[in-house]
Amino acid sequence: MKQNITVIPRHGSSFKDKLFLPAIYDGVKVTFKHLFDNVTDINAVDTLEYPEEQPTDITDRYRGLHRLTHRADDTVACVACFMCATACPANCIFIEATEREDGDDEKMPKSFFIDTLECVFCGYCVEACPCDAIRMDTGIFSLTGNSREDFVLNKEQLLANKGAFGEEISCARG
Amino acid sequence: MSTASILVSVASFVLGALLALLTIPVLVWLERRIASLVQDRLGPNRTNVFGFRLGGVVQSFADVVKLLLKEEYYPGHIKMGRWLFMLAPVITFSAALLAFMAIPFADTLQIDGEALRVQALPIDFGVLWYLAIGAIGVLGVIFGGWLSHNKYALLGAARAGSMVVSYELPLGLSILSFIITYNTIDFNAMVQWQSGTFFGFLPAWGILVQPLASIVLIVALFAETNRNPFTVAEGESEIVAGYMTEHTAMKFAMYFMGEYVAMNTASAVIITVIFGGYQIPWVSTEMMLENFSAFAVVMMVSVPVIVGLLIKWMRKNNTVRPTVSTDGGRNFETKVLTIALLSMTALIEVILLYLVFVADSALANSITVMLFQIVVFVVKLMMFNIFFILIRWTVPRFRYDQVQHLGWYYLLPLSLLNLFITAIIVVGVNP
Repeated sequence: MKQNITVIPRHGSSFKDKLFLPAIYDGVKVTFKHLFDNVTDINAVDTLEYPEEQPTDITDRYRGLHRLTHRADDTVACVACFMCATACPANCIFIEATEREDGDDEKMPKSFFIDTLECVFCGYCVEACPCDAIRMDTGIFSLTGNSREDFVLNKEQLLANKGAFGEEISCARG
Repeated sequence: MSTASILVSVASFVLGALLALLTIPVLVWLERRIASLVQDRLGPNRTNVFGFRLGGVVQSFADVVKLLLKEEYYPGHIKMGRWLFMLAPVITFSAALLAFMAIPFADTLQIDGEALRVQALPIDFGVLWYLAIGAIGVLGVIFGGWLSHNKYALLGAARAGSMVVSYELPLGLSILSFIITYNTIDFNAMVQWQSGTFFGFLPAWGILVQPLASIVLIVALFAETNRNPFTVAEGESEIVAGYMTEHTAMKFAMYFMGEYVAMNTASAVIITVIFGGYQIPWVSTEMMLENFSAFAVVMMVSVPVIVGLLIKWMRKNNTVRPTVSTDGGRNFETKVLTIALLSMTALIEVILLYLVFVADSALANSITVMLFQIVVFVVKLMMFNIFFILIRWTVPRFRYDQVQHLGWYYLLPLSLLNLFITAIIVVGVNP
């Protein structure tokens, strides 16, 4: 077992370490270099000047704001099966189903609300959906509003969100 | 009292009050900007009034408005002594403010044979005033912490009290070494002593004459002002906000501003005692007054150079990256500030030319030298404040027992030893 023992050298007991001042001098040298470099060329500071500069590194797997997809004939792809609402760990999806009259399917959502203040953006609703009707590929990372009600998105708002990556229409329904 | 003496004392009082109070927003802003620049961030740079952001210093005024409009909250359990609970931050703030008033901003003005001190308080025992008033500030901390009826506040107050007890000693002893060396308790006489030379070529600054006492003084003042690495009275990671846990809105702001005033005062004392105060090295006031033409010519050359460098720096840095869509009025601001700086330089040049070639009045010359010394003082003050801030963002905190250990086991014996050696040398040199 002898080979498994590593002796860690202890620091801080030498006179130089106990003096503190050489270490403080070294530290100040580092921080002052950063300060001086940044003061003499402020635009070299590698930060994003949000909101004038928008992020360009959002990948296509990014879970942004939700959207409801369309079919090829521009109707809602959702069949109000309640799979997403059941899978949702935050209980933030509220669906009311109604009968579908145009013959494409039997059911469709009469209303579809997502409370984005409750949503944890886990993506389980997307995984659960059998119809590829709900997606989180809009690339929208900030939602702003003046009241709490502004953050409860209804069916029309969700249908109006456009996908930023991949297919625009549902892949499950023709 | 003559008109001149009244004018000078009123002007120096106004200057002292402005220097102490107007540096608070600047220091708060500097702290945040320097912290971010050290950490490769930008810091507050957006708040502006009509497009004038001055690098973001306007943010501090917005913060003051925010603190004024915050809810005034009194803990319900404070039954007796609420007036003292409210008064406590004021004590801390005004003690730090009053301690600053003994600092000389320029050399004594000689007008018609009268010696007029350029000091907010024209006293010749400034060191004693500073030591006496500076130590009162902790009373406000103790009152506030005790009356909060809060364990964290009480612990913070107890720590602040013990810090003062343990660090006033090395502070006082190191200042005593300086008093023995300079043979005076007058800040202004200390600065005059330092305008000479040491070993014939070094400026006789305290840091070169008394290096050990200077280090003890700086460390003790860092501890006295509760700055990093000695933030024990309000150690966030241990005792929340310490003594100011229960203080809200403007009461909290008074403590907060008091800390910055104390830091400013500490910087002023350090530069006055060990960095030559308002003097530039090797040049004394008499030299500048005797060779006024040479002084004026040097000024006439150096002011445009400095302003030119400043404008060049501003034109480069008051911009945004080309990828950013709008510059938020920075271009306009740069233009206006450039015009203002250039016209100010032109005005200074004209005044200096007038003083050298047309007017030949000793009074005007000494006032010009005084203004120059005030500028030197402010520049040095700000440089040392920046050093204070830089240390805060460099060094991690000491543990509470380590702080006490450092104070009692190292600083106190070192300052005693230094005092002993100083006394022997002074007595040996001048028997």
